[in-house]
Amino acid sequence: MPVNIVDLGIVYGVRRRDARVTVDLTFTAMGCPAADFIIDDVRERLLREPGVADVVVNVVWDPPWTAARMTRAGREALEMWGLAV
Amino acid sequence: MATVNPAFDQLLKKGDLIESPSEMTPEYLRELKHTLLVSGDTELISAPAYYLAAQRAPSINAFMTGIAIIQDELAHAHIAYHILEELGEDQEKLIFSRDPKSFRYPYAFDVPLATWTELIVANLFYDQAGFCLLGDIHEECSYGPWKRGLNKVMLEENFHLRNGRTWAKRMAQAGGATKEELQTAVDWMFPLTVEWFGLPDSIKTHSTQLDYRLKGKTNDQLRQWWLSLVVPYCEEVGIKVPAHKEGDAYVLDYPFPCTFDAEGKRWDFDDPCSWDDVLVRWRARGPRNAEMVAGLQEEFHRFRKAHVDA
Repeated sequence: MPVNIVDLGIVYGVRRRDARVTVDLTFTAMGCPAADFIIDDVRERLLREPGVADVVVNVVWDPPWTAARMTRAGREALEMWGLAV
Repeated sequence: MATVNPAFDQLLKKGDLIESPSEMTPEYLRELKHTLLVSGDTELISAPAYYLAAQRAPSINAFMTGIAIIQDELAHAHIAYHILEELGEDQEKLIFSRDPKSFRYPYAFDVPLATWTELIVANLFYDQAGFCLLGDIHEECSYGPWKRGLNKVMLEENFHLRNGRTWAKRMAQAGGATKEELQTAVDWMFPLTVEWFGLPDSIKTHSTQLDYRLKGKTNDQLRQWWLSLVVPYCEEVGIKVPAHKEGDAYVLDYPFPCTFDAEGKRWDFDDPCSWDDVLVRWRARGPRNAEMVAGLQEEFHRFRKAHVDA
């Protein structure tokens, strides 16, 4: 999808302690077929940051994601792609 | 040109889009329907073909991914059949009342995908072939409604490729028995996908689909495009494929075509055959053809008999 996960509104929190980064992440649906890919991408991308040696991804469901969590940029990107949001 | 209709031919040459049956010549309509039928049948039959293997997913999320891909394929089939209906065909008859052998999808789907590994290689090779074929139609297609529908289809196909590539890389990196199983699947599925693009241009010297801008690339051009996408990726992740690059083109390291044992999922590279032999194998269909089509059709007729006709 032509939208990053921050603009999509599924990143609920990012914390860094020394070399460890913890990400609270949700998905637009519990049945998200791309869940594994997204988690892999988050981990792989953060490990490329200087000084990051460990990434913990917490998948959370509270509060549940709704389209209201998207940024304006995210909304526009999805509309360009043909999704009604 | 296959028609003798200068005004229509001129319209096509100019690059205009055809928007309704009233603008078409009967020959164009026939060729468009045939091209749509191949596309619809291919997407539809990939659902039962993939489902057999998706059930063997190694995790719940992997199972969901497999099912999501199948859902996409059914939706893509639905688009093609829906356009066929708008062109005067009966969708129900097309799907539920045709003889299994008259379905027009690539032979590859008739060979069982029995494991998750084989589904991954199908996403890697078959979906890439579908991406090339549909991408070419998307680019060139002279029929407006189909061209616009393919905008969305192409985006969704990317997800299938991602599943194939991500898992193939993971399995290759795992090494040992996992990599061996992946290589075994590649060994029989690579030549089957090379064959997918049909007769070489040296034999198929004329294409009405090209005349009518229902596609833009010849069989060999499409085959080369596919090779240029899969061969470098396989080499990058350490999967062996029987092809290499020479100059600007990819060259196969085995006689093409050659003999395939569908039950044993084995190619005999020491036994070249003719394209007539290949056509005989294709027309006879492969091991799962009758079973997959019956699976699609039987419930429709049983339900109808029990609830509609009763």
